[in-house]
Amino acid sequence: MKSVAEKPRFGHTELPEEQSQALRKAVKFEWITIGYLTVSTIIVFLVLGNSQAMKAAWIEDLLSFLPPISFLVAAHVIKRPPSTKHPYGYHRAVGIAHLVAAVALCVVGAYLVADSGLGLLKAEHPTIGGITLFGQTFWLGWLMMAAMALTAGPPVYLGLVKMKLARSLHDKVLYADADMNKADWMTAAAAGVGIAGIGMGLWWADAVAALIISVSILRDGVRNIRGAVGGLADARAMTYDDAHPHPLTGDIDDYLSSLHWVSEARSRTRDEGHVFHIESFVVPKSQDATIKQLEDARNACIEMDWKVQDMVIIPVGELPDEFLPGQTTGGEED
Amino acid sequence: MCRSRPAWAAILAILLLALTACAHYPADPNGTLNNVTDGTMRVGVTENQKWVQIGEGAEPQGVEPDLLRDFASQLNADIEWHQGSEHELVDDLKHGELDVVIGGISAKTPWTTHAGLSRPYVKTKDGRGKTVKHVMLAPLGENAFILSLDKFLQSQEVQP
Repeated sequence: MKSVAEKPRFGHTELPEEQSQALRKAVKFEWITIGYLTVSTIIVFLVLGNSQAMKAAWIEDLLSFLPPISFLVAAHVIKRPPSTKHPYGYHRAVGIAHLVAAVALCVVGAYLVADSGLGLLKAEHPTIGGITLFGQTFWLGWLMMAAMALTAGPPVYLGLVKMKLARSLHDKVLYADADMNKADWMTAAAAGVGIAGIGMGLWWADAVAALIISVSILRDGVRNIRGAVGGLADARAMTYDDAHPHPLTGDIDDYLSSLHWVSEARSRTRDEGHVFHIESFVVPKSQDATIKQLEDARNACIEMDWKVQDMVIIPVGELPDEFLPGQTTGGEED
Repeated sequence: MCRSRPAWAAILAILLLALTACAHYPADPNGTLNNVTDGTMRVGVTENQKWVQIGEGAEPQGVEPDLLRDFASQLNADIEWHQGSEHELVDDLKHGELDVVIGGISAKTPWTTHAGLSRPYVKTKDGRGKTVKHVMLAPLGENAFILSLDKFLQSQEVQP
């Protein structure tokens, strides 16, 4: 155990090469994100003015700090091996971080909806006057649009990279953060378009642009909150984007059922954050399933995927319905 | 990202719609600059030391009325003076009955939800030694008018 302390690990789960590279890259990109956010928060603050969408973009920048920070904190915490006090390890830190990131995303969306919606209802006419730089007085809107163009670019790239890493690492915090980056560049683009519209004398352009974007952000936020709460409340394991039940449960059931000494097998899986906690119930064909057979089966399952580590196989006379609701494997009852 | 396709369609529609109305940039939603140019500028005045002085039966005097007379002549506009309290004037401004309100107003004015502010055009110290940045009030969102007022004010050497 001590000799491999240098290897990246989640608790007692040692990461395969692909995942440990992804983790290193993710940590690097989260630091880059924090750096970018610091710069963009300052730039936007300097040209804030009176535009609703600009103010919203700024508040969003502030809230965007939460996902990368919570990822970095979680990535640090989950390195700890399980202890007497925490026999399941610290994997749930990821679930908590995901919840923090999801709430941040949701707050951004809700704030934007309320803010731009109210602005529209009250028919607020955003005032953007002149600014004097180097002895020239020109329209502040140009500067705002430039700031938006500058701050919209990086999150597109950051979001795409994180989305890929999220899949590889099965990391929902990264996924929520990628959504946050998407929200970032979309609000920046909307603010730019809104200010261009204001310049054309369309006072509502700003608010309408922000409103359209905010609805999509709010939807992402709600989806992430559902996923995060589900994960923490022991919902069946889902894919990193919470779109489908994770195929691993089905794969394990298929494998165990295919063993010559097994007549029936069913598992329940919960997502501990990165790794899964799996309980598999197997019904042996005869009464004399050996310890060796059970251990071999467990090791084979662990070989299947790095996320399988915390797994128990329980030999039973018949499948316990009270633990395994639903008819089909993989828990696809809905 | 495909889900946001309607959003982009809407944004594009806004842009196209806007391009058709693209004469001045930035433009006023309510056309204040157009109305004032070669027309009348309705100025609300409220007395405030050397900034605005109001005498019986005479035009308002002081730093700010002088500035606005120059600005109006640039736009070939006549000035119609309206006297009142700051509250009355700001309310008129909000309802489109005035074009500018002056009265030694500072950039820290609480009227920002009712009126658009010009850039500060001069700084002074108040009795407590705090810096006061002086601004004029204009209708919210009349960006072309505010920009042209800003351009005028910034080009002036105002001595407090």
